[in-house]
Amino acid sequence: MNSKSVYKVPNGKLLKIFLEFNEKNNSIESINITGDFFAYPEEAIETMEDELKNTLLKREILLEKINSIIKENNIEFIGLNAEGLTEGILMCLK
Amino acid sequence: MKEEWRLLETENYTAAANMAIDRAVLVANSEGKVPPTVRFFTWKPPAISIGYFQSLKEEVDLDVCRKLGIDYVRRITGGGAVFHDEELTYSIVIPESHSQIPKNIIESYGRICGALMKGLKHLGIESKYAPINDIITGGKKISGNAQTRKAKTLLQHGTILMDLDVDKMFSLLKVPNEKIKDKLIVDVKQRVTSVKQILGEDIRFNEAAEAMKIGFEEEFNVELIDGSLTEEEIELAKKFERECFSTRDWNNRR
Repeated sequence: MNSKSVYKVPNGKLLKIFLEFNEKNNSIESINITGDFFAYPEEAIETMEDELKNTLLKREILLEKINSIIKENNIEFIGLNAEGLTEGILMCLK
Repeated sequence: MKEEWRLLETENYTAAANMAIDRAVLVANSEGKVPPTVRFFTWKPPAISIGYFQSLKEEVDLDVCRKLGIDYVRRITGGGAVFHDEELTYSIVIPESHSQIPKNIIESYGRICGALMKGLKHLGIESKYAPINDIITGGKKISGNAQTRKAKTLLQHGTILMDLDVDKMFSLLKVPNEKIKDKLIVDVKQRVTSVKQILGEDIRFNEAAEAMKIGFEEEFNVELIDGSLTEEEIELAKKFERECFSTRDWNNRR
């Protein structure tokens, strides 16, 4: 199923998520993370999108996965953070 | 003796060429082939640039762009969509390790915005830095900025709004909800200003660029020396323009 969310990150930028998810097992099939935020290095956002595939759409699991991707890839977000990204993804389900 | 940086003034390049030049200068500087460089430039035709992470088709009405002859390009920097029409655009390329550049990204935004604020002061405009990436005057935005760091080199580019046509800008940008478009236009008119609006007169590109040049010289205690792109940079810029910034692959990649 395809879904989209628009989420203003508190004290941050406008996040727009495009999500394709599997309703049966409640997991991410593909995700496109867009918006006017900053991330360093920029290309790491594609790594983030790849590594989020098959992740369960549950808050704690998503947050933990996103934090571990940030750490592994030394990503620095400005105007976005792991909590904001998690919230934006979960908003696609509403 | 003051450290000498290179000053470039390039008017009337296309969107793809402008973004290609910034990237070519970044590469040349990262290889130690050119000094830190400040460039002032304009866009011909007028163009929309979108941030690296934005979706082109979500943000920009490409049909209206085509109809009005407005160009568009994806930047290598993050941030939001910008309509480059009546403005002075600048870029600065400098090694991350330069003593004048804070390691912290937000602090380095503040430092470079400091140069622009000094420049605005020379035009008679008091302003202040509004983190993350804006400069405001009288509570309204007059400059937006975006930074990337690649190959241990910093590139920051941004705009000083010289004049502003909010209605035209909104005809080019997509808004999430058409019903609130009028309200958004009113909001932006209240939140954004321009040099012309404040001073009540048109300032020519050369005059604004001169003021900004002095701003950079004062902020960083350097001398900006008129220069030009090297042959290698010109070739590299052409390559980036051809293989990246003018391609559908790049501009539609998100």
